[in-house]
Amino acid sequence: MADVPESIPTAKTRAAELQLPPQTTLYLDALRRLVRNRLAIAGMVILGLLLICAIFAEQLAPYDPIAQELLLRRQPPSAQHWMGMDEVGRDILSRVIFGARISLQIGVVSVSLAIVVGALLGAIAGYKGGWVDDLIMRIMDILLAFPSLLLAIAVVAILGPGLMNMLYAIAFVSIPVYARIVRASVLSVKAQDYILAARAIGVPSTRILFRNVLPNCLTPLIVQGTLGIATAILDAAGLSFLGLGARPPTPEWGAMLGQGRGSVFTAPHIVIFPGLAIMMTVLGFNLLGDGLRDALDPRLRI
Amino acid sequence: MEARVTRYIAQRLVLLVPVLLGILVITFSMLRLIPGDPARIMLGEHATEESIARFREAMGLDDPIHVQFWRYLTNILHGDLGRAIRTNEKVTVELMQRLPATVELTFGAMFLACLIGIIAGIISAYYHNSVIDLGTMVGALVGVSMPVFWLGLILMFIFGFKLKWLPPSGRLTVGVELQSLTDFFLAGAAEGTWLYKLKPITDFLSNFYILTAVLTGNGKALWDTVKHLILPSLALGSIPAAIIARMTRSSLLEVLGEDYIRTARAKGLAERVVLFGHAMKNAFLPIITVVGLQFGSLLGGAILTETIFSWPGMGRLVVDRILARDYPVVQGAVLVIALIFVIVNLLVDISYAYLDPRIRYGS
Repeated sequence: MADVPESIPTAKTRAAELQLPPQTTLYLDALRRLVRNRLAIAGMVILGLLLICAIFAEQLAPYDPIAQELLLRRQPPSAQHWMGMDEVGRDILSRVIFGARISLQIGVVSVSLAIVVGALLGAIAGYKGGWVDDLIMRIMDILLAFPSLLLAIAVVAILGPGLMNMLYAIAFVSIPVYARIVRASVLSVKAQDYILAARAIGVPSTRILFRNVLPNCLTPLIVQGTLGIATAILDAAGLSFLGLGARPPTPEWGAMLGQGRGSVFTAPHIVIFPGLAIMMTVLGFNLLGDGLRDALDPRLRI
Repeated sequence: MEARVTRYIAQRLVLLVPVLLGILVITFSMLRLIPGDPARIMLGEHATEESIARFREAMGLDDPIHVQFWRYLTNILHGDLGRAIRTNEKVTVELMQRLPATVELTFGAMFLACLIGIIAGIISAYYHNSVIDLGTMVGALVGVSMPVFWLGLILMFIFGFKLKWLPPSGRLTVGVELQSLTDFFLAGAAEGTWLYKLKPITDFLSNFYILTAVLTGNGKALWDTVKHLILPSLALGSIPAAIIARMTRSSLLEVLGEDYIRTARAKGLAERVVLFGHAMKNAFLPIITVVGLQFGSLLGGAILTETIFSWPGMGRLVVDRILARDYPVVQGAVLVIALIFVIVNLLVDISYAYLDPRIRYGS
């Protein structure tokens, strides 16, 4: 038994001998590409900071975001109040910090809602085909026939102004995008041999849908979802700015801008800081979304 | 016209029917989906039971729903969108007065967006991977992320208030005279003559201030309206400008890598001719599509821009009347904006099909 090799070659050692690249998965690969992308890193840093603000708002904010110091109304930035005071004497920095919590919640919750409903509709449409497909997708076409902000405004007009109603409105108008993505993925996967094989051996359709078909839609959904959060936050800020979303004294950035815009000439700091906060947040999601797209699907790179 | 394009248009028009019907169903339902009694909400808390009953009767709110929808359809086909609750004016009249301002603003925004976006995109592509390229593209990313209403306020503060270069809001300075087209062309027309029948048209067109100023040869008013248009157009055009810049860059970069560009350079053509004569010509198609698709977001963004700049357009009308619970006007405005959006998208698709022979519907 002397010529038995010391170690039996495994796939791993063979690969090392042949100098093959180490085995990897789609998501590991994507992660590697993502951390090499400097813009995406910048996006993640911005979002990380925002997340910290949102989670630790109570600890980070120097003042109560809704307490009013009427004597300090419209006071410009100072050592005590880094971003100054708003038109009714509230500390803007504290309000901006608390606003991170609201904006992130609106963005994430509305997009999650839209993805769940949209993915379900898209999956049903793509998988069933026929008149079900026609009906669902025609309804989606109709929703897409409105500019999204206008449709959101119309929904809020029906439901009445308010934070939750605005959230539903924004979720509602984003449904068609996700339905289309999932339907397209389902259609392209449905014709593959392995789905046919699964059906042939009698796997139930719901199981095929959840185990084989939907995971294939994950990549475009992650990318579109991240970019969608950016749009949702912008739209929410716009609605609140118009007085159709968050109500005073909620520290929502768009509402802060809307209530403070009368002071733009006399006390521009009231308008500048909440706007910067919106811009940085949206920029963060856009950078991360672009990075994710490049990382997850190099073919889509533009 | 080729058969291919004709067939494409026909198919698109057929597909338009369910979409139009859907839009009508949605705008019709708006009023009926309001929680509670729409009559009570629209007339306010202090309305008497009697006036609410009269209002329900006048609006036909007690009829069966299919009767109401049928009446809504037939009324719309007759150009009747009902009456505004706040002003008791016909909704169509209010909308027609406001539509030209919005159209002027969207075109102004699109013009600036194309100008800035295409130039930035060309520069960025030409100096690919340089500091200029990076700067432009980061600028474009920031542009896409900026809230329109915030940019508007900042522009207003800097150029309207601090530097005083441009008027901060409105469409025309108080005191600058702009004669309406009706007064200019139909001054002598007596009631009942054929010329007088043009009055609704000239009244409508008079709300296009730039057009009116040009047609009446009023240079002072023209300059004034253009100056008023610049800031809102910049604010509204920022996002499309950024998107157009990115598209121009990527499209041009792709074309610049083609063999025929190398050939053109090899045979000694001037760089200017290569860039504009050869490359841009082929890079334009995707840019045109993006420009067309941006019109929709402009119509949405106009709602915010008009509110900031006190621009008397449809967008501001929608917001004002939602807050005033004047639903017939909101309903009408949503319908008209959606129709414009659908028609613009259709025209974009058709022109695209016309320009690109590879596009065929359904295959």
